[in-house]
Amino acid sequence: MNFEYMLEILPRFFSVIPVTALIIAVSFIAGLLLSVGVTIIRVKKIPVFNRLMDIYLSFTRSAPILLQLFIFYFGIPVLLQAFGIAVTNVEPIVAAIACLVFYNGAFMSEILRPAYLAIDKGQFEAADSLGYTGWQKFSRITMPQLIPIALPGMTNAMIHLIHDSSLIFAIGVVDIMGLANIIGSETYGLYQVEVFLTVAVIYWVISLIFEQLVKLFDKRRRKVLKFEGYTSSEGAG
Amino acid sequence: MLNIENLLLRLGGNDILKNIDLSVESGEVVSLIGPSGTGKTSLLRCINLLEAPYAGRMTFENDTYDFSKISQRDKLRLRRQTAMVFQQYNLFKNKTVLENVMEAQVLVQKKSKQAAYDESLDQLEKVGLRNKLDSYPARLSGGQQQRVSIARALAVHPSVILFDEPTSALDPELVGEVLHTIRDVAKSGMTILLVTHEMRFAKDISDRVIFMDNGQVEEQGTPEDIFNRSQNPRTRQFLSQFYTPNFEI
Ligand SMILES: Nc1ncnc2c1ncn2[C@@H]1O[C@H](COP(=O)(O)OP(=O)(O)OP(=O)(O)O)[C@@H](O)[C@H]1O
Ligand SMILES: [Mg+2]
Repeated sequence: MNFEYMLEILPRFFSVIPVTALIIAVSFIAGLLLSVGVTIIRVKKIPVFNRLMDIYLSFTRSAPILLQLFIFYFGIPVLLQAFGIAVTNVEPIVAAIACLVFYNGAFMSEILRPAYLAIDKGQFEAADSLGYTGWQKFSRITMPQLIPIALPGMTNAMIHLIHDSSLIFAIGVVDIMGLANIIGSETYGLYQVEVFLTVAVIYWVISLIFEQLVKLFDKRRRKVLKFEGYTSSEGAG
Repeated sequence: MLNIENLLLRLGGNDILKNIDLSVESGEVVSLIGPSGTGKTSLLRCINLLEAPYAGRMTFENDTYDFSKISQRDKLRLRRQTAMVFQQYNLFKNKTVLENVMEAQVLVQKKSKQAAYDESLDQLEKVGLRNKLDSYPARLSGGQQQRVSIARALAVHPSVILFDEPTSALDPELVGEVLHTIRDVAKSGMTILLVTHEMRFAKDISDRVIFMDNGQVEEQGTPEDIFNRSQNPRTRQFLSQFYTPNFEI
């Protein structure tokens, strides 16, 4: 075990951590926005679209994420050509983000939908009866009540996303894992264990930071659920 | 003030309300009574447009609307002139008592915060809960929550208040305080449509009582007409479960 070597390569990773962080952040935010749309279609049971969502959800659930990455990476150029846009290849990072957004649009809607359904229907009817517009109802009642319920699931989704993002090197993205592979091959596989342990430490630190952030929110969440009168073990603590 | 003609409501393939005609005068207190599952709640929900009737017309404050083709704009407009008090109170859980009463005034009626605040204090004073401004609904008793919801309804100055069994979800010892509040509202001259199983209260407070059965208006009249003089066998059968009325036969 060569600790000196680990310390030596550690700084090289600092240049790619932002790549991973960017991919995770963009995928999370865009995925969340997509999942809101998906959830609306599903809870409002909008005809035709609702059916399409069933297929979409069932696909993302069943196909391994690595496979989905390849489909996006090789599929996007084919799709664009079908629309008359000639591209021979697409940037791996673009394909990776597109894939993770696509995946999370479905995954997160599986969190948002039950959270929405957990809100007492009377809350919406009270808003309706007072003449709130759809947006007023959404922003004043739905969102504030949904967020504390959905937060644990969303935390989970984020952890999944951090893990899933470690697969995107497979289509050639030079993120943390991508660089680890490059460094590993520079030394002809002599220090593989050191390289990957270094990566493990980096992921560990990222997770720790994230967990601390969550703790901050969770305290507030528990308080909110308590004064809103939720008493499940999930809720008020 | 409120006039409904030929209202037809269909839910899940069933005719829930069949050709309802109903009119309420300004300042009138009208009680709706009838067996469970008869469509009393549904009728209130139609007036508040929480349910979309299949056919019928409604005239409200001189404007006539066709239920089957009511626009989103008219829907909001109508809802803003009516207020509903729900059996389960339905106070906004994520808002304090004050916010519950204030919000619609600011958000929907575009009142200034100051005006809405003053109005809210006023209404909460009337229902005896001015000392609970910053409490969240979950911390209040059912009776207190229902009184807040009455204050919330009054604060938007609706043309009519719709009460749907406002005391049915309450522990018996809390019913009195809510009935007392409703009585005050009635005395203030507010137009009220009240669904209730509190027969004595309905008899006391109403200008007119409507007996509904099986999705239809079966009989209506003064409290005397319905509770003491009804010749309608359905009405008499229904009332007999509550007490033995002294019919003048
Ligand atoms: N969404 C729905 N789909 C199908 N049927 C419904 C729906 N909502 C209500 N109903 C039916 O409509 C009928 C009238 O219900 P409603 O709640 O208006 O009765 P009610 O007179 O208020 O009864 P209660 O005194 O028990 O409150 C009932 O038979 C009920 O089963
Ligand atoms: Mg009812």
